[in-house]
Amino acid sequence: MDFIAQNMAPIMFVGLVVFLLLGYPVAFALAANGIFFGLLGIHLGLLQPSLFQALPERLWGVMSNDTLLAVPFFTFMGLILERSGMAEDLLDTIGQLFGPVRGGLAFAVIFVGALLAATTGVVAASVISMGLISLPIMLRYGYDRRFATGVIAASGTLAQIIPPSLVLIIMADQLGRSVGDMYAGAFIPGIALAGLYAVYAGAVALFKPQWSPALPLEARRLREPGGSSGTPSVFVVVVLATIAAVLFDRFYYVPHYPDAALDERLVLAAGAGGGFALASAIVNKVFRLGLLSRLAEQVVFVLIPPLALIFLVLGTIFLGWATPTEGGAMGATGALVMALARGRLSMRLTRQAMDTTAKLSTFVVFILVGARVFSLSFYGVNGHVWVEHLLTNLPGGQLGFLIVVNILVFLLAFFLDFFELSFIVVPLIGPVADKLGIDLIWFGVLLGVNMQTSFMHPPFGFALFYLRSVAPTHEYVDKLTGNRMAPVTTGQIYWGAIPFVIIQVLMVGLLIAFPQMSLVYKSDQPTIDIDKVKIEIPADEPARAGEQEDLMKQLGQPQGAPGKPAEEPKKSPEEEQQDDLMKQLQKK
Amino acid sequence: MQALLALSRLIDRMNEHIGRAVYWLVLAAVLLSAGNAIVRKIFSVSSNAYLEAQWYLFSAVFLLCAGYTLLRNEHVRIDILVGKLSAKAQAWVDIFGTVLFLLPMATLIMWLSWSYFVRAYTQNEISGSAGGLTIWPARLLLPVGFALLVLQGISELVKRVAFVTGRGPDPIVRHDPAEAERALAEEIRKIAEGKA
Repeated sequence: MDFIAQNMAPIMFVGLVVFLLLGYPVAFALAANGIFFGLLGIHLGLLQPSLFQALPERLWGVMSNDTLLAVPFFTFMGLILERSGMAEDLLDTIGQLFGPVRGGLAFAVIFVGALLAATTGVVAASVISMGLISLPIMLRYGYDRRFATGVIAASGTLAQIIPPSLVLIIMADQLGRSVGDMYAGAFIPGIALAGLYAVYAGAVALFKPQWSPALPLEARRLREPGGSSGTPSVFVVVVLATIAAVLFDRFYYVPHYPDAALDERLVLAAGAGGGFALASAIVNKVFRLGLLSRLAEQVVFVLIPPLALIFLVLGTIFLGWATPTEGGAMGATGALVMALARGRLSMRLTRQAMDTTAKLSTFVVFILVGARVFSLSFYGVNGHVWVEHLLTNLPGGQLGFLIVVNILVFLLAFFLDFFELSFIVVPLIGPVADKLGIDLIWFGVLLGVNMQTSFMHPPFGFALFYLRSVAPTHEYVDKLTGNRMAPVTTGQIYWGAIPFVIIQVLMVGLLIAFPQMSLVYKSDQPTIDIDKVKIEIPADEPARAGEQEDLMKQLGQPQGAPGKPAEEPKKSPEEEQQDDLMKQLQKK
Repeated sequence: MQALLALSRLIDRMNEHIGRAVYWLVLAAVLLSAGNAIVRKIFSVSSNAYLEAQWYLFSAVFLLCAGYTLLRNEHVRIDILVGKLSAKAQAWVDIFGTVLFLLPMATLIMWLSWSYFVRAYTQNEISGSAGGLTIWPARLLLPVGFALLVLQGISELVKRVAFVTGRGPDPIVRHDPAEAERALAEEIRKIAEGKA
């Protein structure tokens, strides 16, 4: 008994692993673990008998946490979007644009993957679309199967790290930082990652030209009547739109609003440039001016819907018009309107999307509920102190900690998905990182890039799984060429993912070496609109404060585990958030 | 056993209906949130009531759908080990988990949150923020949601016991997640072909 009392935290942790591995739903195993060890702790006199009185207050905290609304909003948006046909149009046209270059289809997939990633926060949609639209074309013209499947799976997972990713929202919530900062911190790493994919695709095109041939002439549909490609016209439009954007910024916006923040100017200038391109394409089409090539016209038309969605979601967040949660709702509404306009929105589809969204958000929130029940007991027996001792005693200080934690998360990502990792693991390691002086935005982005691998790890990675479900499993006859085509084997999909998992690890290393990539968020600190805080605080504070008080009561009792006297209670992520909000309020 | 199985079918039907009704609140929350952001920007009107209503709605979704999600076997599991077992063995795992994990924890929370609701109700508590909503309806969601979860747990238990004793079919809904994806793929393909 004494042994158990002395080592309650480690025993509880091992118990958790056993409970989870039993294969019963994670949410209930977590909560049951918390209650079981809570009762044991009360029995051994380690915890107050009134421990569980704090439970309803904790659950109330989960209910009133409106950051979590982002989960249903972004899921719903993704589900509507994946049936709206937007991704298909994009892939088709951008494939035509880049196709004539060697490796062009791969670049198109990466580009569209990044673009879709910036519109939505979930992975499934883009992988399936690319698997359906781009993969058959790549196979038809002789792309290497491993390379083709790898590039598709990896580009699909960009949705995890490029804002408005759901991972980043949850990470911000769990680490007690603002979602806006997390987005700003993830921006450069996300783009850099897409860039690394493109570098790899470029290297393949250069050194293994037979892996990624250019599209032959007959496959280029959007040619001019005369037979020319129409590509120069695309460049002209891009250059003109850029000039329009710069002119708008220099001669209209800045003179009128001299103290506008940089991201505000960027968003609006991009809007002006896009508007210019759209207007010229429309004028060209309506009046049949023939000034733009068919290709250029088509490119402009397919790019407008995703750019409009990006504006709705990210633009409104960076302009301070909407909170990240509301950005999700705006995006979902935008996706609905778009699907409706394209005649793709049926009653059946809407019901399906709501059904899936309801079930998915229920299981996600219940993992959090379970985690909160677990942490009530785990913090009660000073589990956080135990974890902290374990991790702060690593050799190498910050660097040692980062390396160990990243290896740990990389390995866990084979078995756990990112919701489980963020709700169970992140609250344990976040406070330690903070104590070691690690910037939590940087840390969150780092973990985000790392967890992205959980989608690509053979054999459980979801992106591979989605791709497998749409890649041909039997020999088939290509409709266009009439050739017999071999199926794509599961082995090819697995092998194809490996170079990209390596790139991912490389990116984690780069991000550890160059934290500046994430820390840029600090430079535009004042631009994070306080609007959000102003509204959220009154709604949020009483509940959280109450919850906090209850927790403090529990922790404050002089009943800490023997040998570990009740030290100053560690800041839990919620408290941190509290502090954070307070700071922002005071700044005002 | 027959009576228990009848009860189980009744619970299943109830949670099914509740789930299908409640998921509309997802759409309501989306429109409310987007509408609130737009109205606030354009007309500079807003109230905490709108913000609170959003998470009231979402809380209703995830609490009232807890049983429905269990019915559909959509609460995630870590099944790397269990997935390899026979159907009977998996049913035993579920019986064990339901009796030792789910039912005690859900009953405890249901019981604790009931008094938590009663307190808010009798004192007619109103949220502390300006223009805030009455608290008790949201508090009521907790005991009701967990009660639905307990009921569904009982139903799942009955179905599994019937199965391992040879009196019923294998009740575990096995997801071939690939199946959903294939259905989606089929749909996208149709759309793409319809266009071409």
